[in-house]
Amino acid sequence: MKKLGKIYILIIMLFLYLPIFTLMVLSFNEAKSMAVFTRFSFKWYAELFQSRLMMGAIVNTFSIAILAALIATIVGTMAVLGMDAMKPRTENVLLAANNIPMLNADIVTGIALMLFFLMLNIPRGYCTILFSHATFCIPYVILSVRPRLNKNTDRLFEAALDLGASEKYAFRKIVLPELWPGISSGFLLSFTMSVDDFIITYFTRGAGINTISTLIYSEVKIGIRPSLFALSTIIFVVALVVLLIVNARQAKADAAA
Amino acid sequence: MNELIRLENITKSFGDNVVLNGIELTVGENEFVTLLGPSGCGKTTTLRIIGGFEQPDSGVVYFDGKDITGLPANQRNINTVFQNYALFPHMNVGENIAFGLRVSGKSDAYIKDKIKYALKLVNLKGFENRNIDQLSGGQQQRIAMARAIVNEPKVLLLDEPLGALDLKLRQEMQYELVRLKKELGITFIYVTHDQEEALTMSDKVVVMNEGYIQQEGTPEEIYDEPINAFVADFIGDSNIISGKMVDEKVVEINGIKFPCIDGTEQGFPPKRRVDVVIRPEDIEIRPYGKGLFNGTIISKLFIGVHYEMLVQSEDGKIEWLLQNYDQHDVGAKIGMYVRPENIQIMRKPKSEAESAIELDI
Repeated sequence: MKKLGKIYILIIMLFLYLPIFTLMVLSFNEAKSMAVFTRFSFKWYAELFQSRLMMGAIVNTFSIAILAALIATIVGTMAVLGMDAMKPRTENVLLAANNIPMLNADIVTGIALMLFFLMLNIPRGYCTILFSHATFCIPYVILSVRPRLNKNTDRLFEAALDLGASEKYAFRKIVLPELWPGISSGFLLSFTMSVDDFIITYFTRGAGINTISTLIYSEVKIGIRPSLFALSTIIFVVALVVLLIVNARQAKADAAA
Repeated sequence: MNELIRLENITKSFGDNVVLNGIELTVGENEFVTLLGPSGCGKTTTLRIIGGFEQPDSGVVYFDGKDITGLPANQRNINTVFQNYALFPHMNVGENIAFGLRVSGKSDAYIKDKIKYALKLVNLKGFENRNIDQLSGGQQQRIAMARAIVNEPKVLLLDEPLGALDLKLRQEMQYELVRLKKELGITFIYVTHDQEEALTMSDKVVVMNEGYIQQEGTPEEIYDEPINAFVADFIGDSNIISGKMVDEKVVEINGIKFPCIDGTEQGFPPKRRVDVVIRPEDIEIRPYGKGLFNGTIISKLFIGVHYEMLVQSEDGKIEWLLQNYDQHDVGAKIGMYVRPENIQIMRKPKSEAESAIELDI
């Protein structure tokens, strides 16, 4: 029985990671073939870094992700603070409204945003993608910051006022550090969702501007190049390293507490 | 004693819920005043109005003779020890204590000295660099005290500060608080629902219920001469029975005449219907037939210091609560006696509204 369990876990792991492993192996393949591994080479990595098209898509993807996450984090956090000052009933209505965009299908959001830009005659390009990404990230920021602002933070805020602090100082020194874990996880969530997004980007981008996902989509139609495997490999390794660092820091923090 | 704080006709409602009904209260300099009452009686709201966290709907708060009703909390020379301590979790003990001093721009050397002094005062020497989550409840309580008193407030507000501690620690902290108060020489305003805490520590106890002050006085006055049934019942166990004045300084309860020390002069002329309070420890046990009245013991409970007994009167109409050091058997017939000075006569509530306030405990 115990053996069976181990085999089961092994199968799950294979299903999860074998495809990625295949992709990584093929990225080092000299031939363009997806079936035969001829010789180890960095040829496709070189092509990747020489391709202006690809490099442009990479820069677009990450600059949009960082900017959109920043905007969403700031707007979302301010929204949470604003809602907290409202009557509980108004706040609950707004929080319920906040959930709708998250449940909405991406394709609906994407088409809606596209129609919105068309209607207002806004030329689609970098800025429209950025605006769209910030928009769909805001609800997630609200969702992750909101639980940090509770009765306890109210009490700490009062305690700071009691000790003579101005409202600004009390917010900066006492309330903000309490919200920080929610704010940073909201930022990270926004960042990953923005990098991940294809559908909304596809509908809100203009001609001639690509992110990694839309680039891959258009390449698939004309035949995929192994340099995309190289790119995928790099993204996977970077994500893995970041994950390991975060986990290690978390473990360290838990051990200290 | 100089007056330090005066509340004048304070009223406060949250929505339709009237929390304070014209509170009048004077707190003297260097006085230990306790606001005592069941939850929802308005004691915490009163404290929050003094602290500046809540604005009264009407009425004036005077501090040192000046009207401070509209003054925000951060400009009052008053500090608070909160019920759940509200220590800043991302700061260590030293930084917590230093917070108020940093806000007021004190020098680093001064702050360091003050932290040392405050930690010594609350018996937690050398705790500067501890994290808040490494402290026990009692230690957190002491740090909350230290954080408040380093700012040298004229008044310290304490909102049920011992509520979260276990019994033994609570009793220890009661002594600590009284000692601290003596060393600091400042005014304490203390909120609690625990009558024992109120009686042991305070110079003055203010009993509140349903947004009204029921009675204020020294712990002895409150205990020995409760003004109405609510106060008598809230402060310790007691027998509260209806009676009637039948003669000058004689009250009749259930057909038995008791001599007492209250008469026309105290506002209880003959024929007046009254409430009578007799503390359970004031009923003395005599041999059967040798006391003022007789009864049968129907239950007995040992509660440490003494026995608590329920004694049924012979006609079965009244059950008396007795506390006695001696053991008596259940079923025994006994005689009982009460000294005249231990019979506390109270006026019956006049209106229905008044009686609702007093009986809705």
